[in-house]
Amino acid sequence: MHHINPSIKAGTVTIAAIVIAFLFDPLALLLYIGWTIAVTLLFGKVQIKKYLLYLLPFTLFAVGMLVSTLLFAKTPENPSITQQFLLWELPRETVQDALALAIRVFSYSTLSLLFVLTTDKVAFILSLIQQCRVSPKLAYGILAGYRFLPLLKDELTTIRSAHLIRGAKTKTSRFSRYKQYTIPLLASAIRKAERTAIAMESKGFTGERDRTFYRTYNTSWTDWIFAAVMLGAIALCIIVSKSFQ
Amino acid sequence: MKNWRMKDIVVMAALAVVFGIVYLLFLPVNVVMMGLIGPIGTDIIFGVWFLVSIVAAYIIQKPGVALVSETIAGVVEVLIGSSVGPIVILSAVVQGLGAEAAFALTRYRSYHVLVLMGAGIGAAITSFIWGYFRGGFVALDPSYVVLMLVVRIISGAVISGLIGKAISEALAKTGTLTSFPLGKTYRQRKAG
Repeated sequence: MHHINPSIKAGTVTIAAIVIAFLFDPLALLLYIGWTIAVTLLFGKVQIKKYLLYLLPFTLFAVGMLVSTLLFAKTPENPSITQQFLLWELPRETVQDALALAIRVFSYSTLSLLFVLTTDKVAFILSLIQQCRVSPKLAYGILAGYRFLPLLKDELTTIRSAHLIRGAKTKTSRFSRYKQYTIPLLASAIRKAERTAIAMESKGFTGERDRTFYRTYNTSWTDWIFAAVMLGAIALCIIVSKSFQ
Repeated sequence: MKNWRMKDIVVMAALAVVFGIVYLLFLPVNVVMMGLIGPIGTDIIFGVWFLVSIVAAYIIQKPGVALVSETIAGVVEVLIGSSVGPIVILSAVVQGLGAEAAFALTRYRSYHVLVLMGAGIGAAITSFIWGYFRGGFVALDPSYVVLMLVVRIISGAVISGLIGKAISEALAKTGTLTSFPLGKTYRQRKAG
């Protein structure tokens, strides 16, 4: 899993998600969720504990989706046909729609985790340049910006201490407190970005396409097999689910 | 995209990183809002997710900035790890296109407050169409869906349009934007 070309992996996951968007069959979706989780855990060498931890917020999101769809569903065509759902009697159509939606949200999450947990971030960007013809200027710009991420936390501490030492009062209202920190934070990020850009150019970075790479990424037949298997599994799930009904 | 300076790109990326974090922080807020008042809760705060388009486009004032900055923010969300996965990049592209359309309509000449609000509205509309298919709004009451759209449009205009403008101008005031169009106009206005 970790060796599959990041661009192909991202493409596969995205196409799978688009296909799923047009799929309303809960059983097929559930089968596919099982499949995605199995692939992630078996071939991605992801620890189950870590996986569950990452899945937790998504589960909350899916439950929220379920509850809100139940409450705000469109008027069903056959309100008389009801179904017991936990404690309530609800129209069967509503329950089915809501469950399908929640399961769909959940299947997006498992697909995302498949990508996120098995992909090196820098490899993803570098592969975007090499496989998807993203302009190196843009891609290395993104990488440079991404490096600011850990610096932002330090910057926030600096701003806070600077305010303290000069006796600036912490604003009481939440909104102005946000403003007090966001603007200096953004301003310093922009200054840093300008300096970085100048440094890149002064060291000879032109952003042209005919550059060489220290780390090269290629596509091989295993990548395409992965894509085919992941997408073929959707069809398989639909067929299996149909044969049950 | 040819006339972008390295500076423009890295500044765009830096903005995208900051707003990418903001976007991620708003995901749990979104869950809470949705739990409290239903799917429309998302639409009330949806304008937050278009902010970087408006801020970056207003500062740099070049074609393509609204689209690319939003896309980078999507990539950053994926890079940070949590979020909704690579699909979020696609959502970001869709939103960015909506915002970009508004600037393109003025041929990138006007950055009036109405244009900025228009960019927010554009992003609201495209993101809604995308969400209609992805989120399965078909299952909801049609009149409720219309209400969601209206709320999202207002949110796009107010949160991303007006607040985006306020953020950009507060930044111009700090003097960091002197090498960008917004900083230049600010200085001229102050001098004249």
